[in-house]
Amino acid sequence: MDFLQTYGFLIVTMLQQGLLGLSLYFPLMAGQLSLASPGFYALGGYIAAIMLTAPQFAGWRDALGSWIFPVTWLFSALASAVLGVIVGVPALRLRGIYLALATIAFVQILQVLSLNLSITGGAVGLFAIPQAFGFVDRWQYIWIFLPTVIVVLLFAHRLQGSRVGRAFRAIREDELAADAMGIPPTRYKVLAFVIGAVLAGVVGAMSAPFLNTWNARQGTFDASIAFLAYTLIGGSRSMWGPLLGGALLASLPELLRSLADWRLVINGLVLVVASLYLPQGIVGALGRLRRKAPPQRPVTPSTPALGDTP
Amino acid sequence: MTELLQNLINGLAIGSVYAIFALGYTLVFSILGIINFAHGAVFTLGAYFTYTLVVGQFENNGLIKGINLFPAGSPFHGSAWAFAAAALIGAVLSGLVAVVIERLAFRPMRARGADPLLALVSSLGVALVIVNLIQILVGAESYSFPTDIYGDLKPALIFSLGGKLIVVRTVQVIIFAVSMVLLLILGYVIGRTRIGKALRAVAENPGTASLLGISVTRFIIITFFLSGFLGGLAGTLVSTAFSVAGPYFGVAYGLKGLAVIVLGGLGSIPGAVVGGLVIGLAEAFVPAEYSAYKDAVAFALLFVILLIRPQGLLGRVQIQKV
Repeated sequence: MDFLQTYGFLIVTMLQQGLLGLSLYFPLMAGQLSLASPGFYALGGYIAAIMLTAPQFAGWRDALGSWIFPVTWLFSALASAVLGVIVGVPALRLRGIYLALATIAFVQILQVLSLNLSITGGAVGLFAIPQAFGFVDRWQYIWIFLPTVIVVLLFAHRLQGSRVGRAFRAIREDELAADAMGIPPTRYKVLAFVIGAVLAGVVGAMSAPFLNTWNARQGTFDASIAFLAYTLIGGSRSMWGPLLGGALLASLPELLRSLADWRLVINGLVLVVASLYLPQGIVGALGRLRRKAPPQRPVTPSTPALGDTP
Repeated sequence: MTELLQNLINGLAIGSVYAIFALGYTLVFSILGIINFAHGAVFTLGAYFTYTLVVGQFENNGLIKGINLFPAGSPFHGSAWAFAAAALIGAVLSGLVAVVIERLAFRPMRARGADPLLALVSSLGVALVIVNLIQILVGAESYSFPTDIYGDLKPALIFSLGGKLIVVRTVQVIIFAVSMVLLLILGYVIGRTRIGKALRAVAENPGTASLLGISVTRFIIITFFLSGFLGGLAGTLVSTAFSVAGPYFGVAYGLKGLAVIVLGGLGSIPGAVVGGLVIGLAEAFVPAEYSAYKDAVAFALLFVILLIRPQGLLGRVQIQKV
């Protein structure tokens, strides 16, 4: 238990950030770059925080007991889905960079609103959010986040093989050709975007009790960059990529703690170098190494295997 | 009436800076089809370069605290001309930084034929590096330019109209005039000169342009320099009107600039100008009791334009060819 006391918070954070990385993966399955996840994450967190602290919801809390937590997840999911359609439809009728730009705008608008509305606690935010299910230690949130990771991975796996997943892939490879084959691109792109939005919203609702407090800093452009980095450094072509990227980069501050001020500079350099030398991300590079490895046969010292050189 | 006139003046002044700043995005976008996310960081750099030349002293938290880089006797102190020279040098330095950014973050991508999304990420990485290097070097404090940078010019002209006062700050006049002059020069260069013709050819089709003997790489470098110059100068102008508000202050302008170019039409030069002025005016006309929501105006307009006219105010409809 000592191990969990020390590293529990970090492990849960790694899972949580991995999930947020995955929230970008779904739109990317259909070739769409969305930077909206911090917005939906913030929205979900606010909905949970309000339902768990506001006096107006005291009756709900008394009636539902611990069931209030799954109910906040459900409400966050619904709100994210509705808002996802509202944001997604105008931006996704167009091709190219528009979704990225529209989602940046979306995150900015939500941030201004959350800083100024009284229901979100203004600049101070909301605090004293009760712990989920009466947890007494932070590491216990692993019982929420680990099953969520597994469910999301199973869902992504099933989705890939399904008709919808194939439509996503067709749009990613060539939107015009997909359109000509009778796949309505806008509808599927919005669907992919909304799946990511719902995931980010639910993770937000799960995170509000975990972090105990919620404020406008949860949904910023910086977070958009961070989530994007998870996905691209981990690898955007496999569901393992964003998860791995999120987990790795979330643990980076811990590993780089001694670098203090230079940490963000190094973060930036990592982004530049990774987009140059790891265009398929870590998972993509590992996959390529494995494919390049020669079939099993005795290797004489004079002819080193290809896979030996990185 | 007076209120309308006052809002109009404020809106045109800030809108003209948005315009020249957003032009930096547009120039690069029209040539490479890529949005340079480091543009906001170059804006910040421009302000810091000029501030370093004019004041040259930073306090407290940075690595170069307390070092007087350009002491009071240096040529950039005192008169309005000295300040103008400092602003110009600051803009040139910003242009050079943009050229370096092109070399480090964009050219290698182009050479590999990489996904444009990756260039977006690497330019974000460069922005992160620049902003945090500024923070390490000079700290996160906010700095204001001295009040006498415009020499003997009065800080503001005040008119009385129907018993109410209209304030025109000298800074606003200078910002508007400098921006308009720059726009005219740029319009002339791009529309009337051989360099401009070559630039337009590269933007239209790099392959054909290079077959016609135009060095594409050279014109990409020129484009980045112009873009950085405009961004850096916009940073200086905004920071003289308000302040050099810490290493991150360009990020907000960088994002607002994206709303400007979408509003005007991606890749359209007149569009960037119109978009900038429209957003500047829209912000100025936000009633005082809603001023906290001012920063959301540009982004709300972005959604409105996507709904009613996705190609932007002056953009061309793109026909996707197979």
